[in-house]
Amino acid sequence: MIAQQLLNGIVVGGVYALFALGFNLVFGIQRILNLAHGAVFMAGAFTAWYTVVNGGPLWLGFLLAMALSGCLSVLIELVCFRRLRRTGDEEFGAIISSIGASLVIMTIAQRISGTRIVRFPFDTFPIQIYQVAGLRISLLQLFMAAAAFALVVVMAWFVYRTPWGRRIRAVTENARAAMLTGVNPNAVYRQTYFMAGALAGAAGVLVGLAFNSIHYMMGEPYLLFGFVIIILGGLGSIPGALLAALLFGMMQTLTIAFLPTGLTNAVIFLGLFLILLLRPHGLLGREEAGQLRGRR
Amino acid sequence: MASLYNAWGPILDLYLLQLGFAFSQYLVLRAGVFSLATAALAAIGAYTAGILAVKHGVHPALGILAGTGMGTAAALVLSWPLARLRGVYQAIATLAFVQIVLSLNIWAEGLTGGAMGLMNIPRVVGTPGLLAAAVAVTYIIWAIGRTRIGRTFDVIRENEAVAVSLGVSVPRWQALAFALSGAIAGLFGALEAFHSYALDPNIFGFSFLIATLSYVVFGGRKSVLGPLVGTAVLILLPELARPLAENRVLVYGLLLILVINFLPRGVADTLLDAWHRRRLARRSAAAAEALR
Amino acid sequence: MTGGLELRALGKRFGGVVAADDVNMSVPPGRITGLIGPNGAGKTTIVNLVTGMLSVSSGSILFDGRDITHAPAHAIARAGLARTFQNIRLMPEASILDNVMVGFHRHETSGLLAALLRLPAAARETRAMRDRAMALIGRFGLAALADHPAGGLSYGHQRRVEIMRALATDPRLILLDEPVAGMNDVESAEMAEVIRGLAAEGRAILLIEHDMRFVTGLCAHVYALDGGRLIAEGSARAVLSDPVVIEAYLGSPLDA
Repeated sequence: MIAQQLLNGIVVGGVYALFALGFNLVFGIQRILNLAHGAVFMAGAFTAWYTVVNGGPLWLGFLLAMALSGCLSVLIELVCFRRLRRTGDEEFGAIISSIGASLVIMTIAQRISGTRIVRFPFDTFPIQIYQVAGLRISLLQLFMAAAAFALVVVMAWFVYRTPWGRRIRAVTENARAAMLTGVNPNAVYRQTYFMAGALAGAAGVLVGLAFNSIHYMMGEPYLLFGFVIIILGGLGSIPGALLAALLFGMMQTLTIAFLPTGLTNAVIFLGLFLILLLRPHGLLGREEAGQLRGRR
Repeated sequence: MASLYNAWGPILDLYLLQLGFAFSQYLVLRAGVFSLATAALAAIGAYTAGILAVKHGVHPALGILAGTGMGTAAALVLSWPLARLRGVYQAIATLAFVQIVLSLNIWAEGLTGGAMGLMNIPRVVGTPGLLAAAVAVTYIIWAIGRTRIGRTFDVIRENEAVAVSLGVSVPRWQALAFALSGAIAGLFGALEAFHSYALDPNIFGFSFLIATLSYVVFGGRKSVLGPLVGTAVLILLPELARPLAENRVLVYGLLLILVINFLPRGVADTLLDAWHRRRLARRSAAAAEALR
Repeated sequence: MTGGLELRALGKRFGGVVAADDVNMSVPPGRITGLIGPNGAGKTTIVNLVTGMLSVSSGSILFDGRDITHAPAHAIARAGLARTFQNIRLMPEASILDNVMVGFHRHETSGLLAALLRLPAAARETRAMRDRAMALIGRFGLAALADHPAGGLSYGHQRRVEIMRALATDPRLILLDEPVAGMNDVESAEMAEVIRGLAAEGRAILLIEHDMRFVTGLCAHVYALDGGRLIAEGSARAVLSDPVVIEAYLGSPLDA
């Protein structure tokens, strides 16, 4: 029973990782909390659904979702954040601006769907359940885990092994120093936002398939889970976010299985609160230098 | 006169209630605390008052007092962990707090009525009561701006290191801002309970949070006029034209993006500053004239 | 026991990096003491340790005979130690008057309730502070600009506002962190006069400076810092002609 829950948790955790990695990448590079990330995720789910109900194959829907979510994310950076960065008050401003973007995107989705919950057609993904060593796993779960794994590997390769990734890491460490060595930060931001959006879009499609329910508010809980994951893993840290996402996925399935319904979220967010209290910079995060607050 | 009140009374009541919540949000932002907890603190005040009235038959006046007290107490407790955090971390922690209160309100059915809500609260607060509370809170916010409390909040918000170098104990002053914000949220939460027959947990969810934040961002975070103007405009806007009402959320979203990008200090504060600058320019011109 | 500031074997480590090591200094009242050193010598670390912005790793700090080594930063300020910042930190949109008035924080005693309700006591206190701030602004020759936003002032004037704000706390010691950085000769000559005046009032002054010329004219006693250690101390002339100090400055070729 517990092993089964843990397995389910790992699959869910993989999807959370896709969502949270982009969220965290953006925070790491700009110290900006993009609260429209949940709306980008939702837009991905809608894109895949729209492709499939119009006769397109699922793989095409998946690719279109990633492309559209990536572009949407870049657009958010351009419209909502670029100007704020020049005025220097981006910490507060970005939260407001991205809430605004989130409201706009959600309204558009609400209009398109007519406030309904939309679903993929019945045979979009073959239903097939395997029994392995007493554990049940569906083909869809295998696909979700494989897709999440593949995308995380591609992203890690991009960030750690390519010249573009090196620039992203350089700007994350120190934007001004990177600029002096000839890196164009705006190009780096574009790539980062595209990657973050594409990953969120992929997560949206996987979640849409798993629960077969797509609606304009579906991003909100994931945004909150995203907070938990990046706090757990340390704001800005890629390996931290990955580990935290898997851990969180397992913790969540366990709490859902063993706690009375309705108390799950309260317990999860209480946990978040405690972590913030004990480790203000996350389990794996490091203290940010240069923030003098004084002895107290 | 009576028909005018019938048409605009509900909007006036809505304005007065929302104004209270806007001031609660305004106070923490003014002191440089990045808190979004007003929704949760208002819920605590509202449910305290509502439960006392419905389940224990407590007199509304006592219920309002208790709601205010609970809002204050919850804020004070919350201010302790918040003092260890900064910036976005405070925002995340308070968002989590809103979520905790929301979930607990849904879960504790026996006490709060759960998702169905708490019914049959006596409707004893009308426009005069709301008006009195709104005037009192507006006065206190105005007073804060003209005494050492406002000056201290301002320097903390502008630069914490400077505040500390002048002898300001930042955690203590931010706790004060937070407690005041909690008291106002609790008071108006309780007023809302006695004004609307029923409460349900989702009243104090994300749309509440976004609305209060919008009032303050739109109006301004510094002068007392900010929340007064911001709340008025954003509540009246949907009443002006049907398309605006039908696309309320869209309008809020676009306004948030536009205002924070192009008038980052808010409409009222920007206008006040412009007026102040013009007066200074005229005065120096007059001084130059006199010298000639 | 002498008054003023006393650093005894002060040390600070960040992980494995030593930012200050065995620093012994004294800053007596009524005099201008200089602290010089090339960029990255650890001058700002010393300021942050003394003002309580950083925790002390070893050694102790005494202020007027009182141990403030581990005191919280705001308590150190309340004990009478004020500072200015290397990169000017004012409230740019607020007027000069408002910027100076916040400096009186530690002298304001009206009750919180009185302030919340703006009872007569609180209103009276605010008026009194405004008068004192205006007097201070007048002394620094900026009365005509008192209502103007501080962010629009010239560099030299902004530095003055910072010093006025520090003075409003009525400190017994002022730490001036590179007060003439970015100023022209006329402005820095005026600033030198201001600083002399402060010392003449009996306040202890610690002047942190990169510009050796400015230090020579002002300081009675100078300490030279490099790599977190003191490398010389004595009269300005002696320290500035010390070969070790000259090498420390010239050793970093871009700074000279």
